[in-house]
Amino acid sequence: MLSTKFTPATKLSKAEIDRKWWEIGDFFRRNSLWLLMYCTGCCAIELPPAMTSAYDMERLGMGPMATPRQADILLVSGYLSLKTLRRLIYTYEQMSEPRYVVALGSCPINGGIYHDSHAVINQLDQYIPVDVYVAGCMPNTEAVMNGFVDLMDQIKHKTANGWKKYHANFEWYKENQRNSLGEVDVHDEFHE
Amino acid sequence: MTNSMNNLELVKKVVTEAVPVLKIEEVDKQQLAFEIDKRDVHHVLTVLKTSGWKQLSYMSAVDWIDENKFELVYLVFNWEVPVYVQVRAKIDRVNPEMDSILPIFPGVKYYEREAHEFFGIAFPGNPDYHKQLILEEWDDIPPLRKDFDPEAYSDRKFPKREYPADFSVVDPKNKSIEKRKERKARANALRTGGKEQ
Ligand code: SF4
Repeated sequence: MLSTKFTPATKLSKAEIDRKWWEIGDFFRRNSLWLLMYCTGCCAIELPPAMTSAYDMERLGMGPMATPRQADILLVSGYLSLKTLRRLIYTYEQMSEPRYVVALGSCPINGGIYHDSHAVINQLDQYIPVDVYVAGCMPNTEAVMNGFVDLMDQIKHKTANGWKKYHANFEWYKENQRNSLGEVDVHDEFHE
Repeated sequence: MTNSMNNLELVKKVVTEAVPVLKIEEVDKQQLAFEIDKRDVHHVLTVLKTSGWKQLSYMSAVDWIDENKFELVYLVFNWEVPVYVQVRAKIDRVNPEMDSILPIFPGVKYYEREAHEFFGIAFPGNPDYHKQLILEEWDDIPPLRKDFDPEAYSDRKFPKREYPADFSVVDPKNKSIEKRKERKARANALRTGGKEQ
């Protein structure tokens, strides 16, 4: 009788093997998440306690990362003006995949207290896909940590699919960006 | 050192001797505001700069839409005499224009760009005043003018989140407000021994 130990996995199709590898990858990814903190709004004040000894997000395997190319999570903390949204889209498109977006505060959800401002957008998920929203103005640090744990669960259950949605609905996102921003690319005297 | 009262007198003397002043306002113990004609602004700022007010802390505008005027406010600071001096001058609201004070305070460059962007005031003499600074791709009237409606702009440009159900707490059919009123009245009656409602 043949040993089962070394039986080649011939019955698995290419897609199934890929899926298995993704699962393995997701296991390691969700236990080692690197954040790119885009601290635009006042919600950013919740990050020092989340990062330091008070809540210590390193125990969840999370840490800050300096560049978008090496980060997994784009953390949007608070309101986004048109000017920052342009840079945010620029940053998001630079990130390597899979990439996740966590948005803190009520401002990215529905505009929050800036809902009638001429400078601040109202709904972030019209422009880039958002995986986790943490509500509150500003959200408690417990809520922020809970949001991170939620994201880990989503990765585990394969529901953190924002980056896939961005590919699938790329034209829709681009059109929304153009409608609100006019020109998406950054043009200013410091970039020319 | 002189005390703050004498400092204010000193500033008043410096300014009133230099130009005709329309109005003086003592904003607080460390701040004086002078309203002057727009043609005297350069002169008074030069005088203030040579008398020690050599730091331009801020420059901005106020929109007095009822009077159909913009008011420019220059705020200068002295490191020896602790008094802020505001120099205010009104200019027309239609085709607003003010000669730049760039030769006196070079730091005003970006404040003038800001004022042009948010109020539409032109500053001839400042080579860059028309360039964009904070707003990008702006497509409406300058946003800090009082006749600009930020809410309408926001509604027009930014999609709003739509909620499938109304989660607001106040429900006219719910009697909890009445109950709360009753509770309060009873608590009040107990507290005051039934004398007052
Ligand atoms: S949700 Fe509140 S705390 Fe957060 S950025 Fe908006 S206004 Fe600031």
